[in-house]
Amino acid sequence: MAKVFLNGQPVEHPHESHEHVSPMTTYNAVIGALFVLTALTYAVSFANLGPASLAVAMFVALIKASLVVAYFMHLKYDDRYHLFVFLGTIIFVGIFFGFTLFDLQSRNALNDEQETFVRLRDMENAGQGLKVGVENVPERKAKVLEHIEAHGGGEHGGEHGGDHGGGHKAEAKH
Amino acid sequence: MSTAHSHAPVHDDEHNPHLAHHFDTMGQQNASAKLGMWLFLATEILMFSGLFLAYFVLRMFYPEMVLEAHEYLSKTAGGINTAVLLTSSYTMALGVRSIQLGDVKKLRLYLVLTILCGCIFMVVKYFEYSAKFEHGMLPGKFYSAHLHGYEIEGLPHIFFGVYFMMTGLHGIHVAIGLAIMLWMFVRAGRGEFDKTNYVAIENTGLYWHLVDLIWIFLFPLLYLVK
Repeated sequence: MAKVFLNGQPVEHPHESHEHVSPMTTYNAVIGALFVLTALTYAVSFANLGPASLAVAMFVALIKASLVVAYFMHLKYDDRYHLFVFLGTIIFVGIFFGFTLFDLQSRNALNDEQETFVRLRDMENAGQGLKVGVENVPERKAKVLEHIEAHGGGEHGGEHGGDHGGGHKAEAKH
Repeated sequence: MSTAHSHAPVHDDEHNPHLAHHFDTMGQQNASAKLGMWLFLATEILMFSGLFLAYFVLRMFYPEMVLEAHEYLSKTAGGINTAVLLTSSYTMALGVRSIQLGDVKKLRLYLVLTILCGCIFMVVKYFEYSAKFEHGMLPGKFYSAHLHGYEIEGLPHIFFGVYFMMTGLHGIHVAIGLAIMLWMFVRAGRGEFDKTNYVAIENTGLYWHLVDLIWIFLFPLLYLVK
């Protein structure tokens, strides 16, 4: 019989199955942990942690993601090459994020230094920035206003305020 | 193999009806399918990473606006969907485990449970989206919330653009996942899967877990973060 290769390595006993079957307790523990961590993120979002809240939320999400990848997606027991593919992707995402955010963060200082986009900055400072949404499309704005008029419009916020965190806020502003 | 091998299942394997002629063994066939799936998942992660980056850039330039706009997303709906999706991942993982042990009946049960969870997710999403439509909280030039009496400073039409692109693309993935699971349910009913041939189920599971994985990051970023 011909030699059997798997990922470039000769396989000694190609007809034996090496698939790992996790016991039920593992799956139960993982789903339990996932729910606890979700509750934690939810609770933390109501505590005012300020700028730290993003870091905390991302850290918890990272733990949850690792649990799913390791146990539900079997990467812990799987061929190590699949782990390599996965982590390789994450590294490229990191490069993508890192370079783009670094560029955007340092660009303003560079623009000031080299006096590029001065007119845009002046316009923004004079409150002449881009108009929002339908303001740019007069016909659509007229249509929306007509629709609001016909359906009692402005009270939308009040009607749907209950299920919809933002409702009260909008009312308060008026 | 040079050494004489005394492993009994050799002939079973060679005559396995599911073994394609260009593979030597089921193990090799399954490993190839799974490697292909992982490469596909890598492209999926890279695709979604662009949208996540758009979110982070928007947040970097307009932090107050993102925090204000996210208050208009329903934390309850997002929370329910998180629980539903995590549960569906759990049932999917148990489905894969069932077929690893050769239990087709249980596999089909778990597939149905997973599909049910996915449907609940889509229904909740439908109600969420219709609320946004009604209040004019739409992407780009469709944005008209300020005419409905909601004043959000900054560039809310871009925030809702990011919101709809991220949750929309994720929703499309859920819908495709549901279709694939239905297909797997039918195939399992035809008796196509057993202890030695279940890589299609495993790959379906991998895809579904990735959809879950993306939601794990979407939920705190869009709905919760302060």
